[in-house]
Amino acid sequence: MTQKISKSDRWLMFNPIFQMFKYIYLSLKILKIVAGGHGGTKDINKQ
Amino acid sequence: MAKILILGAGIAGHTAASHLRRKLSKEHEVLVVSPNRNYQWVPSNIWVGIGRMKSESIIFPLEPLYKRKGIGFKQAKVVSFHPEGNATESKPYVLVEYVFGENIATQEKVGYDYLINATGPKLAFELTDGLKPGTNKAYSVCTYDHAEHAWNGLKKLIENVKSTGKSAKIVIGTGHPKATCQGAAFEYILNVEKELVRHGVRDKVALTWLSNEYELGDFGMDGMLLSYGKKTMTSSQMVEMVFADRRIKWILGAGVNKIEDGIVSYENLDGEYKTESFDFAMLIPAFSGHGFKAFNKTNEDITEKLFKGFMIVDADYTAKPYENWSVKDWPETYQNPSYANIFAPGIAFAPPHSISKPRKSKNGTDIFPSPPRTGMPSGITAKIVADNIIDIIKNGSKSLEHKGSMGNMGAACIASAGYGMLKGSGISITTFPIVPDYEKYPTTHGRVLFKTFGDIGLAGHWLKLTLHYAFIYKAKMKPFWWLIPE
Repeated sequence: MTQKISKSDRWLMFNPIFQMFKYIYLSLKILKIVAGGHGGTKDINKQ
Repeated sequence: MAKILILGAGIAGHTAASHLRRKLSKEHEVLVVSPNRNYQWVPSNIWVGIGRMKSESIIFPLEPLYKRKGIGFKQAKVVSFHPEGNATESKPYVLVEYVFGENIATQEKVGYDYLINATGPKLAFELTDGLKPGTNKAYSVCTYDHAEHAWNGLKKLIENVKSTGKSAKIVIGTGHPKATCQGAAFEYILNVEKELVRHGVRDKVALTWLSNEYELGDFGMDGMLLSYGKKTMTSSQMVEMVFADRRIKWILGAGVNKIEDGIVSYENLDGEYKTESFDFAMLIPAFSGHGFKAFNKTNEDITEKLFKGFMIVDADYTAKPYENWSVKDWPETYQNPSYANIFAPGIAFAPPHSISKPRKSKNGTDIFPSPPRTGMPSGITAKIVADNIIDIIKNGSKSLEHKGSMGNMGAACIASAGYGMLKGSGISITTFPIVPDYEKYPTTHGRVLFKTFGDIGLAGHWLKLTLHYAFIYKAKMKPFWWLIPE
């Protein structure tokens, strides 16, 4: 069944104050994931 | 002294050239050959395609920058590869042909010690009958000039609906049974929807998503299981929720094979041949290799040693059934196995297989997305290649220490869902790893749930805008540009 975006969710999605905090949180979280390193798979999976 | 030749000046080629120049002394030559005179930040094309950004904001000329930074530049296209030289040339070289300036149409042998093939994809519009940007009411946003044409087409449609009050139909998605880059089309349909609302014509326009994906949210990555707030949902459920909210219909498993004036013909997985009419369409074409030829010292054709459509690298290309595919099939160093001084990062490397499950229609037509390698993976793989070449030149390294498989690499897709500082929206999705590792993460669809998440809201738009300015700053090699990660 298709999930729906609730009214409260929608309000939060466009609330600039809430979204400002979200922006900082997402920036840090994304930075951690994408700058958090990368490597091979062949050696790691042999361990 | 070493000479590094880089073919292509897109995200991969430009990233490699920038890092090589920064880390190598001036006695080493870094030379870029590209048929394009401008660098373009491709992810912002969608905003050009809705008229909210001028193409001048997403491009800048390469030659003045390269001159300042000590990077050589030739505006030329590749003709053929000669990795062993020939009877008269002892060094390997690439035959190129100038496409601009006083030497236009002149061919030249450009020698190298190390070659980075970052030629990206050929936008293979010709693989779909009638699909040509700006004709048959169908458009593309793959380049900034395509995106400008798309905006002109969309603007006309909006004006027409406003002036006549007539209804209209828009179809956005993939224009070939094996097209990739669903993410760009996804962003575009959400931005178009938002613009239709802004212009007060949304109720008059039917919007349809037409895609070769088996499920919504596949994005060529076999979909994702992701965390969304406190919930866990699939990318299919998330996209379905967004499309339902925006009143966008969808048609899936569609292998588009023909475009006529306002009509798209496709075959679905049930083997049925169907059509959909439209007043405006944006369909992503197939991406193919450039069809380059390669020759050995005695001028024999050795194309199969270098290319398999795209360039052959350190992947496992053994044909095997989907069930036996492994994350270990994916390359780590992007080095050609036949010629150790040739590398192919970004879209230029031949993937070992798709990431999404391959599917055939009842008539035997392959209908599934090809694997994406655009954006962040292009930049990361280019830096890996540059760092390995730097190690070889500086330290004489025999082994390649810098590795980055798409099976052990995270990526962020900040999909714009509407432009506007207060009314804009973005869908932020991260995934780790890009290629699912079903052995390591068997219960979470091959990915780390904590690092694979989705979020919808205004912050996503701000993030996308931040990335736009940050990556153009980085590409212009302004002070401390290297601190911005790929």
